[in-house]
Amino acid sequence: MYPTLSTTLRPDPALTGHERRVRPDPSRRARRATGLGLLLPVALAACGTTATGADPGEATTRVDGGTIVYAHDQEPPCLYGGWVQQAYLSRQVLDSLVSQAEDGEIVPWLATAWTVSEDQLTWTFTLAEGVTFTDGTALDAAAVSRNLEYWLEEGGNSTVAAYLARYYADSRAIDPVTLEITLTEPYAPLLPALSQAYFGIQSPASLERPDEEICEAPIGSGPFVVEGWDRGDAVHFTRNPDYDWAPENALHQGPAYVDGIEWRFVHDPVARFGALGTGEAHVVYDVPTPQWEVAEARFDVQQYITPGRPVALGLNTVEGPFADRLVRQAFAFGTDREAAVTSAFHGVIPYEGNGSISQSTPGYNAEAADDYPYDLDRAVALLEEAGWTEVDAEGVRTREGERLEVSIVYGAGSIITAEGTTVLQNIQDQAKAAGFAVTLVPATREELFSGKYSGPETYDAKPGYWTSPTAGVLHITFRQHLEDSPNFSNSSFYNDPELEEIIVEANSTLDPTEQDRLYGQAQQIISDQAASIGLYTQTTSIAVGPELRDVWLEDSQGEPVFHDAHFVE
Amino acid sequence: MTTPGSTTTPSTAGPAGPATLTDRARAGFASARPPRLATLLSLAVLGFVAVAALAPGLLAPGDPTAIRLDQALQSPSATHLLGTDQSGRDLYTRVVHGARESLTIGLGATALAMALAVTLGVASGLGGRVTDRVIGGALEVAFAFPVMLLALLLVAVRGPSSATLVIAVGIGSAPGYARMVRGQVLAVRREPYVEAAAALGHPRHRVVLQHVLPNAVRPLLAIATLGVGQSIVWASGLAFLGMGVAPPSPEWGALLEAGRMYVTTAWWLEVVPGLAIVAVAVALTTLGRTLQQRLEGAPS
Repeated sequence: MYPTLSTTLRPDPALTGHERRVRPDPSRRARRATGLGLLLPVALAACGTTATGADPGEATTRVDGGTIVYAHDQEPPCLYGGWVQQAYLSRQVLDSLVSQAEDGEIVPWLATAWTVSEDQLTWTFTLAEGVTFTDGTALDAAAVSRNLEYWLEEGGNSTVAAYLARYYADSRAIDPVTLEITLTEPYAPLLPALSQAYFGIQSPASLERPDEEICEAPIGSGPFVVEGWDRGDAVHFTRNPDYDWAPENALHQGPAYVDGIEWRFVHDPVARFGALGTGEAHVVYDVPTPQWEVAEARFDVQQYITPGRPVALGLNTVEGPFADRLVRQAFAFGTDREAAVTSAFHGVIPYEGNGSISQSTPGYNAEAADDYPYDLDRAVALLEEAGWTEVDAEGVRTREGERLEVSIVYGAGSIITAEGTTVLQNIQDQAKAAGFAVTLVPATREELFSGKYSGPETYDAKPGYWTSPTAGVLHITFRQHLEDSPNFSNSSFYNDPELEEIIVEANSTLDPTEQDRLYGQAQQIISDQAASIGLYTQTTSIAVGPELRDVWLEDSQGEPVFHDAHFVE
Repeated sequence: MTTPGSTTTPSTAGPAGPATLTDRARAGFASARPPRLATLLSLAVLGFVAVAALAPGLLAPGDPTAIRLDQALQSPSATHLLGTDQSGRDLYTRVVHGARESLTIGLGATALAMALAVTLGVASGLGGRVTDRVIGGALEVAFAFPVMLLALLLVAVRGPSSATLVIAVGIGSAPGYARMVRGQVLAVRREPYVEAAAALGHPRHRVVLQHVLPNAVRPLLAIATLGVGQSIVWASGLAFLGMGVAPPSPEWGALLEAGRMYVTTAWWLEVVPGLAIVAVAVALTTLGRTLQQRLEGAPS
């Protein structure tokens, strides 16, 4: 059992009314509660109210079969890969070794049990027997080992590499059901990391196929199979009739109740939500916040505050005005981010002042989140101290004739939603008072993914997030960006050997209290440096129509799960 | 959505062209009647928009980007004539200040399209059979390529900006104009006054510049007026898809894009900029038609 996870969630005052997740089915919680014992009150507290779209007396008889029409936002370039948008899709067809339950507990999935050696370097997983991939081959330890090799030695998944490259040494099959993974140094967040869909296990035969085929149709042992992908329109999943190895936190064992999923891509949020109202879709992703109240009144709405890095502005610490810590701090003090966020999201998505870790993450440093309240006087004083003493005719501060101009490059529509764009515009205008001239530069997804805006010369600030069930994500987002080992996930280019050392130490610390202290210390350094400024939590929401039940968002990073879903009449 | 080619008038229609021109000319001269109400209204709209573009402060003294979070999403009232947006910015102020960028994009795209069209059309019409075939073929291909698709491609490569919109819409609408120029050139070069000029021994370039070009392009001025409106609509469409100018610009298409989240909760955010675009496009079209009637068939 992974120790720190027993700490479960920490309900934050800011989360009032916006629980980390709201699940529709009380029976589900009750069933799990029997095994939870003492954790129950905490779990219930964290879960808050029970939102059910169903009035008593409404149809509740399960009807097997039918195809779920799910309207999703973004269509990724591949159905498998290192982006959360890909994890949403691959979660439908791939199973992972473990799953994360809603209280943070790691529960069995393809691995039924696991042990770790005294020195924390050797993990031994016992695999479920009788599991077959949908291409007919059997899942065994060698197959899992082959996946690790694919991810880490053949560049099969950039996110897996971001988590494990430093820690992974080797893996081998002891026997068909026993897998041994050896690490180079202790890595406490291994199990939560493995619970994400990036770590979904594919059939080894599938991995021998050309990249394009893996991209189009990953083959695993999951509850669904990719039947086809009409690019620009929809991915079609059909049920895996042999499925009988759902994770322990699933609502049922056995094949999915429905025949399949039509996973449509509807980028426009209003059209997407409208599709639920007209019955064209049974489930929609990312409920537009202006319509939140309507959605809650009419549908089963579930919200999941993603742990990991929140949506935060990475400030370029090596080039431009933000290379000066005082200017970064001035920007943090000089923008009323809380007001900007609350207004733009209509109070639906919480403000997150912590720039490195979000409030739903174990090990969250709540004090760091309050380091930069809106304080225009302090912002001005800091800018004066930094030498930006003159103000030109347009109200922009200058230093030796240079204007205090900064650019914020953001992935419009891909990383930053419409409401997020409003947040940025609010901040842009707020920052004028302190004397910043902020330019917003919307970048297309193609520009962003092609690396056009990855170097320190290309932006002053860039908002981003990194969903992750562990504060160990700090090792991804704040590992140093060095010439021989570049780290473009460190969007601040903040290189601090001491910070990296603390994060690495935290990752190897088993005692939860000590580990939290170290993660907290790391967050404090990042906050003191104002290397990354928090905006809002990366948040997943779905709305489910009344004819469908038991769709849920899993707990490692909010991937929708349809295996338990069924229609009712 | 139509291409500029489809707004073409009978004057460019092949062999019947010259005859139609003459008929139109007669009609045009005969109807020296006072301007219609529609024309006057169009002039008024364009006058207002012109002032908005040149001196927006005269019509709306406020700052179009100043946020007031406590005033977010106010419906139209005495304080905010056309309501406020999700950041509490006054929509009337934003629409007025957005005129400049929207018009610049419309004019810029049309100018670019015209420049390309005249070059290609004249080369095609006068350059001999092979050149005509090559350019004609290229134009056919370009025609088959939807303007929006081309624009999306350009935006993906260059990133969204005013300049990208101008280039995208300009290139996209050029083939339609180019075909019209070619048709005009072919028609005009057989006119007696051109043949006369050639017979008198004027050098070829002079014949082209002084006689063919002005007469071939003149009817296009009216079409271009229509094109400006069309370009604004296209650019707005791209902006609506999130491919337009960067926020917080009040460019009209960008306003539409920003407002679409609120289409069911704050109608004015879509209706007001939408009406602005429609009003300008209709005014330009009306004036274009009037201009067309007056200009056509007055050979120099």
